[in-house]
Amino acid sequence: MAERIVVTSLGILSALGNGIAANLQALQQQRPGLRYPQLLQTIHAGEFLLGEVPYSNDELSAMLGLPTGNNGYTRTTLLAMVAMQEVLKGIDKKELQDEGFAFINANTVGGMCSVEDMYEDFLSDNTAENALKYIDTLDCAESTQNVTKHFGLKPFTATISTACSSSGNAIILGARLIQHGIIKRAICGGCDALSRFTLNGFHSLKNVDKQPARPFDNTRFGLNLGEGAGYVLLETEKSAKERGAEIIAVLSGYANTNDAYHPTAPNPNGDGAYNTMQLALQKAQLQTTDINYINAHGTATTANDAAEGKAIERLFNGHTPHFSSTKPYTGHTLAAAGVIEAIFSIGALQQQMIWPSLNHTTQMEEVSITPTTQLIEDAGINHVLSNSFGFGGNNVSLIFSRA
Amino acid sequence: MEDLKVTLKQQIIESLNLQGMKPEDIDDNAPLFGEGLGLDSIDSLEMMVLLERNYGIKIEDAREGRKVLQSVASMAEYIQQHRKI
Amino acid sequence: MIQPVYISAASAISPQHSFGTDAPLQPVMSSDNGKLYVQDADYSQFINPVAIRRMSRMLKIGISTGMDCLRQSGIEKPDGIITGTGRGSMRDMEIFLGDMLRLKEEALNPTYFIQSTYNSINGWLALQTKCTGYNQTYVHRGHSLEMALLDAQLLLNETTDKQHYLVGSFDEMTDEYFGVKSKIGYWKQPTPHSLHLYKHSDTPGSIGGEGSAFFMVTNEKENALFSIAAMQMLQDYTPAEVDATIARILEENKILLRDVDVILCGMSGDSRFDGIYKPLFNNTTVHTTVCAFKHLCGEYDTSTGFAMWLATQAFKTQQVPEAIIQKKGINPSVKTVLIVNHYILNSASVMLLRANS
Repeated sequence: MAERIVVTSLGILSALGNGIAANLQALQQQRPGLRYPQLLQTIHAGEFLLGEVPYSNDELSAMLGLPTGNNGYTRTTLLAMVAMQEVLKGIDKKELQDEGFAFINANTVGGMCSVEDMYEDFLSDNTAENALKYIDTLDCAESTQNVTKHFGLKPFTATISTACSSSGNAIILGARLIQHGIIKRAICGGCDALSRFTLNGFHSLKNVDKQPARPFDNTRFGLNLGEGAGYVLLETEKSAKERGAEIIAVLSGYANTNDAYHPTAPNPNGDGAYNTMQLALQKAQLQTTDINYINAHGTATTANDAAEGKAIERLFNGHTPHFSSTKPYTGHTLAAAGVIEAIFSIGALQQQMIWPSLNHTTQMEEVSITPTTQLIEDAGINHVLSNSFGFGGNNVSLIFSRA
Repeated sequence: MEDLKVTLKQQIIESLNLQGMKPEDIDDNAPLFGEGLGLDSIDSLEMMVLLERNYGIKIEDAREGRKVLQSVASMAEYIQQHRKI
Repeated sequence: MIQPVYISAASAISPQHSFGTDAPLQPVMSSDNGKLYVQDADYSQFINPVAIRRMSRMLKIGISTGMDCLRQSGIEKPDGIITGTGRGSMRDMEIFLGDMLRLKEEALNPTYFIQSTYNSINGWLALQTKCTGYNQTYVHRGHSLEMALLDAQLLLNETTDKQHYLVGSFDEMTDEYFGVKSKIGYWKQPTPHSLHLYKHSDTPGSIGGEGSAFFMVTNEKENALFSIAAMQMLQDYTPAEVDATIARILEENKILLRDVDVILCGMSGDSRFDGIYKPLFNNTTVHTTVCAFKHLCGEYDTSTGFAMWLATQAFKTQQVPEAIIQKKGINPSVKTVLIVNHYILNSASVMLLRANS
C-alpha cells in the first residue's frame, strides 16, 4: 500500500494578491482580481480584462531583495520566486536540502514576457548589453533553474509544459517521485506571466472574452487570461509527523489522460474529463458520493464548459456536488492554474467553505446542473476534486482530502 | 463578383495550404466544412484571418464567422458588403 | 527498488542518414557552416494528409519519428506517450512572435500559436494513435529526454501489467535561433568543419544541431533490444562528480570499466565542458571503444536521443560504426554501453545500457 502523500506548506501569488491569506480572503469576499492591464504593454490593454498580479517587476524584485530594473530575471521567474518564498516558510531550508527534495516546476511560455520585448533587439546587429542576459530566458526551465539558485537550493529538478494542466501534472509527478522513494519531499507547482504572445495567441483563437468570463453560463463567450504562481510542499504523512509539521491536506487521488480528439478542443461529450475524474476517484478509493466540492477547470470557453459540464453530470449521475470555477477571480493562469486551483481547493477544506462561481446568470443549455453561486460556509467538506484540462488533450484531475 | 471568387479561392488554397488544389477545383456553393474539403475549426479561424488581412473585415465571434464561411459564394457576398480594403 | 526498463524499438531523424534506411550513417553527412540540419524524409507516410498541410517542419519531424518507432515496435496504441524537448517548435514560435511584432498584434494566425505549445507533438501522436493514456511533456533543457525516460520507468514500476510507453524527444535549429545564440557564445569561432570539431577543443563553443528520437520503453523483457540499467542526471556539476557518478553506477551494477564495451561521449568541442570526457579517454583500458557523436548531430538539448539511437544500432549489429570511434577497443561484442553527455546549460547525464540476454 503506497504511503499517504500530504501537503504541508503552500505558496501563492495571483491577481488576488500575495499569499494564501490574501487569496482566500478575496474568494470569501467574492472580490475578483481582474482589471484592464496596467503593467502589460499591449495594444489590447483597453479591450481585455486580465488577472494581472498587482505588482510591477520592480516591486516583485524588491520583495525578493533583488536589484530593480533589467536584472536578468523575467517576470515569470519573479512571480515564481515570490510564491516559493512563501512555501519555504513551511520547512527549515537546511532540513529540506539535507534530506533530499525535488522542485517540479511548470509553465507554458517560459520567459516570453521579457523576450518578446527584446526579440527585435536579439535579431539586430547590435544587441544591447542589457538584452544579452535575457537570451537564455525563453525556455520553460529558466524559471526552474533561477528559482533554485536564488534560494541557494540544489534539488532534483524537472519542468513540465502541458499547457493549462501543467502544474497539475507537476503535483502528480512530485507525489510519484516520493512514493518511489527517489526523494523525501517535493515542492511542486508552476508559474506563468502575462505576455502579448499569449494574449494574442488566445485572441487569435477567438476564445478570449472582453467581458468578465461566465463559466458554465449559457452566454459564455470565452476566457479571461491571468498570471500567477503557486507551489505546494508534498511529503509522506510519516515524514510530516516526524518533523511535527502541520498537515494541511491529503493528496488522496490523481489522474492524467489524453482526449485524443483534437489539437485544442475537448471531446464534446466530455469523455476525456469523465475518464480522468473517474480514474482519480479510483486512485483515491473514493466514490462519487464522497466528493463534496469540484473546483472545475471552467474556463468559460464554449467547448470546455460544455464538455466538462456533461462529464460532471454524467459521472455524478444525479448527485452532482457543489461545483464552481474560480477563474473569474484570478483569470486563467495557464500553467499555474492547476496548482493555484489546487490551493483554492485545499483552502476550501481548511476554511470549510465553497467558493462561489461568479457571473453566472443563465442556465447552460447543454446540461441541467448549475454551479454554486453563493458562498457556502460550514460546508462539511471532506474531499475536493480539482480539474485542469489543457491543449493537446492533456487532462488532469486531483483529489484533496481533509487532514 | 466572379473575379473576387477566383481570387478568394486562390487565397483560401494558399492560406490553408491545400496542396495540389486549383481554384477551379472548388465549387462556388459547395460546403467548405464537414464533408467536401474536410476543413475544421482551426481552418475557419485561419479564414477569418484571411478576411481581416485581405479585406479589413474583423469577425470577433467564431460562431458568427462560421455562418459567413459556409461556402465561397457566401464569403464573397459578405466581403462585397463589408470590405474595408 | 526501481527495476530497469527495456527498449524494444528506436527511431531517429537526424543530420545523418538514420531514418528509413538499410545503411545507417552512410554516407556520413557533414557541414562547414557550423550548422547540422536533419536529413528530411517523406513525412506524408506517417501523418494524416488533412493534418499535415498545416504542420511546421518540427511537428512533421517529431510526429514521423514517433510513428515510425511505433511501426517498428509493432505496438499500434501505446499505454502512454511521454516527450521531452528543450526548445519546442521554434519556428512556429518565431513566426507567431515575428508576425505579432510586425502586424502590431492584429490579424494573427492561430495555427502557429497552437503548434508552438510544447506538448503539441505529444497531442498529435495521441490523436493519431487514439492513445488516451498517460501523456506528459518535459521542457527541461539538457534533461528533457532523460526526464521523459525516468517518468516511463516510474510508470512501468507502478504496474504488474506488461506495458509499453512511447518516449521521445525533438529539438530544431532555425537560422534565427542560431543567430540569437551566437551572441552569447554558443558557437565556435571560427566555424570548424563538423568532422574536425574535436580538433578545436581548446576553444569555447560548438556547432549547432537538431533531431528527433523516439523509443518504445517497456517492462517486457522478451524481444527487447537492451535495458536502461541505470540513469543519473546532474546539474551544475563538477567533472569529479561526473567521474564519481560513473564509478558508482558501474559498482552498483557490478561492472568493471574494462567490461564497458562502448562509451558514447557527448563531447562538443567546447573547451568549457569537454573536461568531463578526458578521464574517459585516459582511464579506459584497451578493451573499451570510446566514441563521440556531436560531430554528427551537433549540439542541442536532447542530443542524448541521437546517442541512444547509436547505441541501438550497436546492440543490433554488434558493431560500432566507424564514423563515431575516437579510440578503438578490443572487446569483441557490444553488451554494455555507457552514454555520458552534457548540454551547454550546465547539465550532464550518465546512462548505462545493457544488451538483453
